[in-house]
Amino acid sequence: MDLHITDIEDPDINYSNEPANIPLHRRPSISIRAKIAISFSLFFILSFTVTGWSYWILTRLENKIEFLEIADNYMVEIQQARRFEKNYLLYSTDLEDALGHLKTADEILTQNSEKIETILGRDHFATMVSYMTKYHGQLVLLGRAENDAEKELVVPKLRQFGSQMVSFAGEFVEKEQNSATRMFLLAKRVPLYFMGALFVLMVFVFTFLTRQLLLTLNRFMDYTIRIGEGDFSPITPARKYRDEFTKLAEAFNHMIKELDHKHNVLLESHKLRAIGTLVAGVAHELNNPLNNTLLTASMLTEDFHTLSDDEKIEMVNDVIGETERAQRVVKNLLDFAREGETEMTPLEIDKIVEDSTRLVVNQVKFAKVDLKLDCETNLPKIHGDEQKLKQVFVNLILNAVDVLPPGGEIRIHVKKDKSRGYVLVTVTDNGPGIPEHIQGRIFEPFFTTKSQAKGTGLGLSVSRGIIKKIGGYIHLTSSPGQGTTFTVSLPATESPSEIMSK
Amino acid sequence: MTKPLEVLLLDDEPIVGRRLKPALDKIGCRVEVFQSPTEAAARIDEKEFDIVVTDIRMEEMDGIQVLEHVQKTWPRTKVIMITGYAKVDLAREAMGKGVFDFIAKPFKPADLRRIIFRAAEALGSPIDSSLLNDEPVAQ
Repeated sequence: MDLHITDIEDPDINYSNEPANIPLHRRPSISIRAKIAISFSLFFILSFTVTGWSYWILTRLENKIEFLEIADNYMVEIQQARRFEKNYLLYSTDLEDALGHLKTADEILTQNSEKIETILGRDHFATMVSYMTKYHGQLVLLGRAENDAEKELVVPKLRQFGSQMVSFAGEFVEKEQNSATRMFLLAKRVPLYFMGALFVLMVFVFTFLTRQLLLTLNRFMDYTIRIGEGDFSPITPARKYRDEFTKLAEAFNHMIKELDHKHNVLLESHKLRAIGTLVAGVAHELNNPLNNTLLTASMLTEDFHTLSDDEKIEMVNDVIGETERAQRVVKNLLDFAREGETEMTPLEIDKIVEDSTRLVVNQVKFAKVDLKLDCETNLPKIHGDEQKLKQVFVNLILNAVDVLPPGGEIRIHVKKDKSRGYVLVTVTDNGPGIPEHIQGRIFEPFFTTKSQAKGTGLGLSVSRGIIKKIGGYIHLTSSPGQGTTFTVSLPATESPSEIMSK
Repeated sequence: MTKPLEVLLLDDEPIVGRRLKPALDKIGCRVEVFQSPTEAAARIDEKEFDIVVTDIRMEEMDGIQVLEHVQKTWPRTKVIMITGYAKVDLAREAMGKGVFDFIAKPFKPADLRRIIFRAAEALGSPIDSSLLNDEPVAQ
């Protein structure tokens, strides 16, 4: 039987040309429709075979029964002939009776010669006929005998042929009866065997199809969970062939692409919001060096003639120092705000976290919150996008600042997770904590505990998307009254020893 | 010559004090400079200043707290606030609490002198306005 290899192309929706779908498409196609068709064909072929066989065996039985009837009639006639032969010899009755019966037997054979021939075969039929002819010849000789002596000469041969004729026919009748009984038994049993085979086949097909469907459905359920968590890598082939699910996978990949695009837009808009928050702090941060420069320059011009050279130099150096300070502030914000594609580069995580704390230093100061950063030495590098990682840490710190009352504490700890090859960044606050029933929803997009004006509910969902994309994890531990810890685990790209050797 | 104006200048940026002290000395003020709000508050407890100039955004204690501290002890003292950037709600709060005036960073020494001049007038011990006009020589 050949496999039904069908083409499951649909001209209306076709995502198969998208780059992400090429691996999905590079497989032979065995559709679910074909599998179902094969299963039904198997059932049909099995039923057809059994029905055909039953028809054949019943026809054969019919023939046998007919033959047995004919054979029975024939047997009666030749046995009668022999009985009249004996009567003739013992009581000298009329020999014509025996000849008459033999004639009837001969008629039976000639009338049914075809049927008998098919069952006995040509040779046996010929033997049967020859026995009868020989017996008939002897019987005619017996009829012509004039006296007892002549009769005595014919009798041995007559008896020999007679008994051969009867026993040959009897043997065949018995043999055919046995064969008919066997056929009956078989015809009775085969439907039972068929039922058993049908049951086994049904169980097999059922488990095979459901396993195939359920396993694939489960896999797709896992995909949706994965995508929901922000992992936008395309679906790759998990089986050796294509079917209707491939179409679904292609549609999924298309959706993932769209989601990824929308996620990037979201990321950008969230970043703009973060920039808005930071700018307020940065304005203050810029005003200080600007003010220092303006005051110093003003006093330098005002008192130019009365100041000593040392004092003048000190003031000019102050102007230079404060200008550089302003430059650093601007550069840090620009690094954060710079538009651009995701750039994956090896990064020093401690530097990223430090820059992030510098960006929010004013928000922290205004909220009268204490921020402490503690980095382990010899940290392995991580692989990621500098800007996006800063966005995550800025977001985590600003969240902590928002929930803390004046005098609150934020502790940031950067350390190695030696056993798993990860670098951990924990951001801990001693704020009111997050109630348990909210903890599960905290990473959902648009979920926020802040007022409409303060939060969009995108921060943590965007952060999780960023971290997932570089193969990391973000999770929180919190209990009401005990504060909250967010842990960001990022895969290390190098072992610490490699860094030591540099 | 009249009695010099006693001025306390509080800003956590050291350069601010370094430059403004000579600038205010010139118009006949006696200036004490502080970077730490707590130290400044301690000094306010000891001595009545005519004018207190304070930054709003500082760690430990903010400008509003300094204002309240001054008013509690010396109701006559004029308080001038330096702001990093104008925030309406903070300004409103400070105005309600009786701050004399605001000056926003960045400013020139002459800007502050003008406010101090007005404050001195309000205190009833005006500064010689000729000193105020002593603008930079280069001009």
